[in-house]
Amino acid sequence: MNRWKIGSLFLVLALLLTAMAGCKSEPANDWERVQEAGKLVIGTSADYPPFEFMNENDEFDGFDVKLMEEIGRQLDLEIVWQDIGFDGLIGALQTGKIDAVIAAMSATPERDEEVDFTQPYYIGKDAVLVATGSGIVVNDKEDMAGKIIGVQTGTIQDDWATENLPGDEIHRYERAEQAILDLKSGRVDVVALDYFVASAFAGQGGVEIALETLFSSEHMSIAVPEGSAELLAEFDRVIKDLQDSGFIEGLGEQYLAGE
Amino acid sequence: MWREMLQALPYILGGIGYTLGVTVVALTVGLVIGVLLALLRVYGRRAAQNFAAVYVVVLRGFPSLIVLFIIYYMLAALIDLPPFLAGCVALGVCSSAYQAEIFRGALQSVSPGQMMAARALGMSHRQAIITVILPQAFRNAIAGWSNEAAIVVKDSSLVYVVGLPELLRRAQQVAARLYAPFLIFTVTAVIYFLLTFATNRLLGWLERKTRIPQMVAAR
Repeated sequence: MNRWKIGSLFLVLALLLTAMAGCKSEPANDWERVQEAGKLVIGTSADYPPFEFMNENDEFDGFDVKLMEEIGRQLDLEIVWQDIGFDGLIGALQTGKIDAVIAAMSATPERDEEVDFTQPYYIGKDAVLVATGSGIVVNDKEDMAGKIIGVQTGTIQDDWATENLPGDEIHRYERAEQAILDLKSGRVDVVALDYFVASAFAGQGGVEIALETLFSSEHMSIAVPEGSAELLAEFDRVIKDLQDSGFIEGLGEQYLAGE
Repeated sequence: MWREMLQALPYILGGIGYTLGVTVVALTVGLVIGVLLALLRVYGRRAAQNFAAVYVVVLRGFPSLIVLFIIYYMLAALIDLPPFLAGCVALGVCSSAYQAEIFRGALQSVSPGQMMAARALGMSHRQAIITVILPQAFRNAIAGWSNEAAIVVKDSSLVYVVGLPELLRRAQQVAARLYAPFLIFTVTAVIYFLLTFATNRLLGWLERKTRIPQMVAAR
């Protein structure tokens, strides 16, 4: 390749990088703009029952979905669902493609730097799964040391394992179900994930809950773009109302208990 | 489990609309850009040749997923494309780099004698390219192009990252709900196979239909 070509190649790359530098500076989705539109575009990742999934009528369903739809009713806004992979949700929010995210997402400090979170609408717990009959005993989350650990990428379980078990082999999966498949086939020894998601998998057989635990206090919150103060305040107000009225507790009993 | 799968099948099959829509538009975008690039590469001036070569090298080096992210998220401040268009443009631009090489090969496989003969008959250079070289090159390109078409059918699954519920994403959703990934993904693989099989059959038919009996590609 001659000098001219190499030069223009770098020129193209430089142009691209300049274009990218201009991102992430979208104006915040303001409460007024949302009200004017009369709708909220909500991003979720519909592959995480019982929090969010597509039900047999091909509709968005789950604990988070029903909660968000009630919030929409209270705010007199139509909810428009967008199913995006979990990894892509924060990016979609930052670039203004969606107005908010509800996806069993915990308000970690790292995420908090990128987006803003409501007060927690739900405080969850975690679990460690093992394959049925594997004989692996996990009495404490530190017992996972020395084992091959499966987690879903970017979750708080992933963060905890990355930070606390740096010497161990951690397999990161795009979706929880892929981690469970590898647990069943013995490619990983343990899988750490949300308690209710774990008990749903355990109910399907082949895997069982070895430990109920907390990796960090798992506060699930709704995410809004950074600086959307008014929208955030409206969400916080409705969440508090729904907690006081017992609506959220009722949803929990309907979707999360009795698995 | 089979019953639930059968009940969910219409929903999964509903994703084919997006899959085929994205595939057809992306292939068309790639075809237009690809043919232009190939013409520049083979018949253009020096600078045009270099431009086409650099375009192909750069775009073939980028994963389609990242091109899609760039177009949908990063360029959103400049042009705010809806998800379907962003998906088609991203996959089309990526495909154009591969199609450019397919058509370059096809153009170069037309015997140089064809151009000389056309010019000897008084055609201009441009006339000769359009009426003599390109029709033969398109025929030569079909076999390589059907390869690219099959690849784009499957690459179209990437558009789920911008929120389009196409075939594979719908299969993921159903697999997550039914806790039956093996069954659902096997069925989905068969659906993709049928799509690429039909595509290649169609192109094979086109190849036979447009074949020139006495013509053999230059060796």
